[in-house]
Amino acid sequence: MEELTIQAVCGFGCGSSLLLRMKIDKVLKEEGITARTFCGDVATAAATPCDVIFCSEEIADRLIDRAKVPVITVVNFNNPDEVKEKVMGYIQSLEDKQ
Amino acid sequence: MEILSLDHILTGVRAENWQQAVEAAGQILVDHGSITPQYIENMIQAVYDMGPYMVLMPHFALAHAAPCDAVLRDDMSLVILEEPVVFGSPNDPVKVILCLACIDKESHMNSLTRVAEALMDETVFDALMKASTAEEAYEALNSFSI
Repeated sequence: MEELTIQAVCGFGCGSSLLLRMKIDKVLKEEGITARTFCGDVATAAATPCDVIFCSEEIADRLIDRAKVPVITVVNFNNPDEVKEKVMGYIQSLEDKQ
Repeated sequence: MEILSLDHILTGVRAENWQQAVEAAGQILVDHGSITPQYIENMIQAVYDMGPYMVLMPHFALAHAAPCDAVLRDDMSLVILEEPVVFGSPNDPVKVILCLACIDKESHMNSLTRVAEALMDETVFDALMKASTAEEAYEALNSFSI
């Protein structure tokens, strides 16, 4: 499998997406999963190549119609259980497909 | 190295609504010559445009807008409200606001990461929620080391 790319998206790609990316990185590290994570903004995220998008619900509303990849929402960026559940849920869905 | 300087922190801030709270956080950066008042308007407009997605976790909002001419240099400020305000987010009510101004999408990454690591630490955040003076908030924030 090629390296997984995960895009964390917020309004401008420079604030809250960085915090979300930090939390995703932490989960990936804990679970021993190699993936490339990066930040994106809501205006360009749908056109930026990646395997999956993580963002807040408000941002997802603006992306979901345009995105070609799964859009996964996180309510509380600082809840490690929620971030882990959602990241691992996505990873699991990939394994199920194989 | 300090995470955020004392003169960029205000506690006991009174705000009747989220707009006033964002203004208070932005005003610190205006006073320090880091942004023009236009940036405050941009931050408020961003919430109108995109919803309260900046309320990232319970009691906390990261107020910011896109890098633009209204930002004169990378900077951050922190306000702790006397009474929390409501943004319309599942993580309401908000008591702590970090205001972020960045000249581009990259240069502020290290400093924001350090503040974010501290803010997302339960012990630090609890202490911030209870801080009644800027000194207490400063101590709480800067006591954190990765």
